Amino acid sequence: MWIERKALAQEVPQAGALSTRQLCDLLAALGFPVDGVAVREGTEALDVDITANRGDAMSHYGLAREIAAKLQQPLARIAAPAVREGPPVVEVRLESAACPIYSTAVLELGSGRTPAAVQAFLLALDSAPKLLPAVDASNELLHRYGHPTHAFDADLIHGAVSVRWAKPGEALVTLDGITRNLAAADLVIADETGPIALAGVMGGDGTKVTEATRRVLLESAWFDSKTVRATARRHSLHTDASHRFGRGADPAMAPVARNLLVDRLQQWCGGRLVSAWTVGSVPALVASVALTETLLARVAGEQLPLEEAAHALRRLGCETKHGHGCLQAVPPSWRHDLTRPEDLAEEVLRLRGYECIPSVLPPMEGPPEPLSASYVQRQRLSRRLAHLGFHQTVTYGFISPEADAAFAAPGNHAEGRTLANPLGQEYSVLRCSLLPSLLAAAQQNLHHGARETRLFEVAPTYASGPNGPEERFMLGAVWGGTLGGEDYLNPARPVQEADLRGVLQSLGFATKPELHSLGEGLFGFEAPVADLAAAGARIIPAFRPFNRYPSVERDLSLLIAPGQSYETLAAALRAVLPSNALQDLRCVDVFRHKSLPAGHQAWLIRMRFQTDRTLVGEEIDGWVAAALAAAESLGAKLRA
Amino acid sequence: MAHLLPVEIVEAARAFPGALAGCSDLDGLLRLKGAYVGREGSHAARMMELLKSAPKEQKRDLGAAINELKQQWEEGLKARQAELETSKTSQHGLLSGSDPTLPPPLPAQGALHPLNRLMDRLVEVFRPLGFHVEEGPEVETEAHNFDGLNIPEDHPAKAASDTFYLAAHPELLLRTHTSPVQVRTLLRVAPELAQRGGIRFLAPGRVYRKDEIDPTHSPMFHQVEGMLVGHGIGMQHLKGTLEYALRALFGPHTEIRLRPSYFPFVEPGCEVDVSCPLCEAQGCRVCKGSGWVEILGAGLIHPNVLRYAGIDASEWSGWAFGMGVERMAMMLSQTPDLRLFFENDQRFLKAMGGLD
Repeated sequence: MWIERKALAQEVPQAGALSTRQLCDLLAALGFPVDGVAVREGTEALDVDITANRGDAMSHYGLAREIAAKLQQPLARIAAPAVREGPPVVEVRLESAACPIYSTAVLELGSGRTPAAVQAFLLALDSAPKLLPAVDASNELLHRYGHPTHAFDADLIHGAVSVRWAKPGEALVTLDGITRNLAAADLVIADETGPIALAGVMGGDGTKVTEATRRVLLESAWFDSKTVRATARRHSLHTDASHRFGRGADPAMAPVARNLLVDRLQQWCGGRLVSAWTVGSVPALVASVALTETLLARVAGEQLPLEEAAHALRRLGCETKHGHGCLQAVPPSWRHDLTRPEDLAEEVLRLRGYECIPSVLPPMEGPPEPLSASYVQRQRLSRRLAHLGFHQTVTYGFISPEADAAFAAPGNHAEGRTLANPLGQEYSVLRCSLLPSLLAAAQQNLHHGARETRLFEVAPTYASGPNGPEERFMLGAVWGGTLGGEDYLNPARPVQEADLRGVLQSLGFATKPELHSLGEGLFGFEAPVADLAAAGARIIPAFRPFNRYPSVERDLSLLIAPGQSYETLAAALRAVLPSNALQDLRCVDVFRHKSLPAGHQAWLIRMRFQTDRTLVGEEIDGWVAAALAAAESLGAKLRA
Repeated sequence: MAHLLPVEIVEAARAFPGALAGCSDLDGLLRLKGAYVGREGSHAARMMELLKSAPKEQKRDLGAAINELKQQWEEGLKARQAELETSKTSQHGLLSGSDPTLPPPLPAQGALHPLNRLMDRLVEVFRPLGFHVEEGPEVETEAHNFDGLNIPEDHPAKAASDTFYLAAHPELLLRTHTSPVQVRTLLRVAPELAQRGGIRFLAPGRVYRKDEIDPTHSPMFHQVEGMLVGHGIGMQHLKGTLEYALRALFGPHTEIRLRPSYFPFVEPGCEVDVSCPLCEAQGCRVCKGSGWVEILGAGLIHPNVLRYAGIDASEWSGWAFGMGVERMAMMLSQTPDLRLFFENDQRFLKAMGGLD
């Protein structure tokens, strides 16, 4: 909201003595930060940020009231001349509780124009004057005092005016020229032919004031904030008026703003008042709130005398009385946000300044809680992967249906995971897998010239369930590109599936996750974090004696026929070897060469034996011979 | 002399120096040796057969020519063998690491994501004060995301233009902040609040809002929520905790400033600024010359939030704060574009992430 400095100083002269920086700091300290300062029409305008609860502060006068209260300086009185009310010249009916008061007047306009000072004021606020006094005056009052008003061309209104809910099928062309199809929850001002304004939001085009207007019917009412918010949202029509009524205007201002408007039209263009009258009355929106000394001390962090609190609240317009450790405050008509003791305490602190709040660490009332095992496990897993050379990614939880479908398990239908209002098709499905996102990131890295890409993410994936998507934390990893070749000891070679398999094996998942070949030499896997072995309950496991006898290693070099599975061969060897002595059996080298028979390869199988005594050569020879026989039974041959 | 030799021998002799230089290892050299001077089928063997069958008057000259070639080849092979053997030895020298002047191979270096590092750091900072971590799902109910937080029924944030909803479950949405974790946690601990002596926790996590992707907006981002409930908790405790935490984060000389503000789930509410950590409050581009940077929103828990969870707001009170992780990361790192955090370019991750 734009605030013109000179106009602000008219309401609270002390503000004129402050530098721009001081004024900005003062407003920020009151809860109204200044987002920027603009110079227009030779004057400074501040872009002030007003929070949604403070409709009362959305004007020069509203902010001046705050500044005056804070600085304990005088505030100008609203110079509203008393207008003698008379008999209605148009019947006005209030048919909804959403409009409890409607002050109005009919004036005959003379000649004259919007004063230059008012035009400059509006221009400084980035609001173009319309050079129609009735329109400009209404606009000026809105910015100066925060109360929206409206002027109709009285000669274009047919019969009685009513404030009522829209009827089915009714439409209204608003001032912006757009036809609005009205809903039953839209509050309208209507004449006998139909709606002429969207109450508190925007006037109708058919009854607007123009150069040709001779008589105006003024509207200075008060509309329920919820109703105005809903209508503004329904029609995507956010106006200065809807902004103020939507955040809560001051109902007591309805007759005052009408008087100000009448006065301006009399002054500016020789308007002749035909009659002014008010229908309804100011609603009782505020009620007395009690603030105890205890609650104030608790919120403020120190004992504050209730006298001081009462003084602060009175500066803000509250009526107060106190005694017996309790203060009763009746907020002013413009502060319907003050409904709880905490609200009053906040006001007291705000006027004192938040810088006065002491700084205290909260005392412990119970023992602290450890971090959850699942959280710690994820943190450790991430660290572990980073140390293994993987880069942690952060990718969006929603992906395209096509990317999702490529990895969806049968039964995990995308319909249950689809957004009703996605940013676009490509972000419409809550992903069933991390792999599509990781694959895209990996490809992007290779595309940007990375030799190698090694990525992981720990994030939830979603499975469609009867009660909505079910979340599960997964670890996903991809690896591809070229390894080595960047120093003199490690020659370059492509990343192989086995590289990722080794990582997977070392992480120790309970069930072995599937390895995916993702194309372009990229490999990936994904597994639920919960499938990782949880950290043991003991910090250090129970002692288990370890074998101190020497171990013996023996190698068997086997010529392997095409199609032989290593798993089968290893199982056959293990089956004939003494399980208590065999500590390890693995293939440590693979040799493939044209010198071998076509399709054959040579595997170097290493066996490690150890028992709780010293082994003798003969028995080991016997085991190795048995292992060889087992291998031969599968068609393998001993290489020289 | 040469005219006595058949053309293929002449060609082989001409090709020899090139073939010799092309041998990069001893195996290759052995094959070359076999082809030129081997006992059977080599060029030399072929020449010996020629010599046997040559007319007598040519034998002398031919023999001399053959000897010269053979000698040339054998010497060449010998010299190259010596060369290759030396280089093999020197390579062996490299393998044994005897040349400390060469750059060593480096272990593979990965990185944690900068956003995760920042969240981890925040958890670390709050741990000594007894805060643990609470988490909640990203798919939330309207009740947890809005109603339990005293957010009015007609609040604009609830609109489909601001919040993502599930098509098949209209009551479900992607949480728009980490605050529903407050609601879940309070509901869970409400019955045992007295035994446990209140609660204090952080809730880091991913949140979603319907913003188009641009340099300062992302439909998914991260927040860290903090909450404390106890007896007699007031603004002084909020200030004390944040002063401790922000000093631990930005340095011991950091100052903090509370300004009144409004959020439906707190009362009183405030924005919290820190003295600019980049210019030590001297005024720079980041703090727009003011010396202060807005870092988080906070306040005392609204009594309605406690009541929703079944907690007696006349006995218990507390504070809560919420901060945007990306905003803070961008401020601290001067990263010019938010999208970099979600592009996952390894060059960015390496530079910004690190290992701890």
